[in-house]
Amino acid sequence: MMLDTNKIIFTGPVGSGKTTAIGAISDTPPVGTDVSCSDESAQIKDTTTVAMDYSYISLEDGTRIHLYGTPGQDRFDFMWNILSKNGIGLVLLVNNDHPEPVIQLDHYLDAFSDFIQETGVVIGVTRSGISDQAYIEDYQKRLSERDQIFPVFEIDARNSDDVKILVHALLAILQN
Amino acid sequence: MQLLSEVITQLSTQSETSAEEVSGLINRELTEILDQMMLKNEDITSAIISSLDGIAWAERLEKGFDQHRFAAMSSALLALSDNLCKEATTGETQNVLLEGSNGRIYVMHAGSNLVLTVFVRDGANLGITLAYAKQATSAIASMTI
Repeated sequence: MMLDTNKIIFTGPVGSGKTTAIGAISDTPPVGTDVSCSDESAQIKDTTTVAMDYSYISLEDGTRIHLYGTPGQDRFDFMWNILSKNGIGLVLLVNNDHPEPVIQLDHYLDAFSDFIQETGVVIGVTRSGISDQAYIEDYQKRLSERDQIFPVFEIDARNSDDVKILVHALLAILQN
Repeated sequence: MQLLSEVITQLSTQSETSAEEVSGLINRELTEILDQMMLKNEDITSAIISSLDGIAWAERLEKGFDQHRFAAMSSALLALSDNLCKEATTGETQNVLLEGSNGRIYVMHAGSNLVLTVFVRDGANLGITLAYAKQATSAIASMTI
């Protein structure tokens, strides 16, 4: 068994499903820091994470993976650094229903570029059934323009199997 | 006349012009509360009032302090403290006290949807400065617009 310090960070813009995804796969009720929205995100949801979400899952071999979710808004970017310290990888969720989802992808890949370089990232596209803002190919195209190859999955953040695929894909990348 | 917390909750449903007008009024009233608190106690060197989700509403900060970052950090800190208190069955967070080597910072709830963060000079009396901060939170909680 690996040392019990396996920490994965979930990040992405407001409304991309970070809190939901962690809740969907965790073994225990997550620690959340949701409060009512008073900014423009109130238009898409009622509450928002202001510090972090935390929970863990146990893999089949008993390895415990700690899950940390960041706040989405840029004003909480100090939490991004705090939470990603000693992390082993990043799950980046992108809300496909956002007017410019590919730009959001860029934004978070840039913000976490050092961390991604040291570890690894998988991308989960959420809310993809709602609108046709972008397709998986658009994200892959953008990644190839950036000279980056990362796995991109279409997922439902409420579905634990979907979220587990992201986590397992990330762990697979990290083995290489 | 309505309680400030109710006015803030309803703000997002108002038209932009009217929301801006009300926000300006709230900012002036809250700044007045900060001024009163700092006038009564000179050991309080800076203060900011922000929303639970980290938006600055009023500030009397030292030059060089970034109100947007301080508002976000205050809300994150208070949200975590609320959780820790709850999980440890310690009850509701009364205040978060940070002891730095050059002074102290108090973070506390002010009414149901605002946060007061107060910066206190090194060596100041803890009880007295805390009492003035508490007085300000009561004023904010009972403020009507």
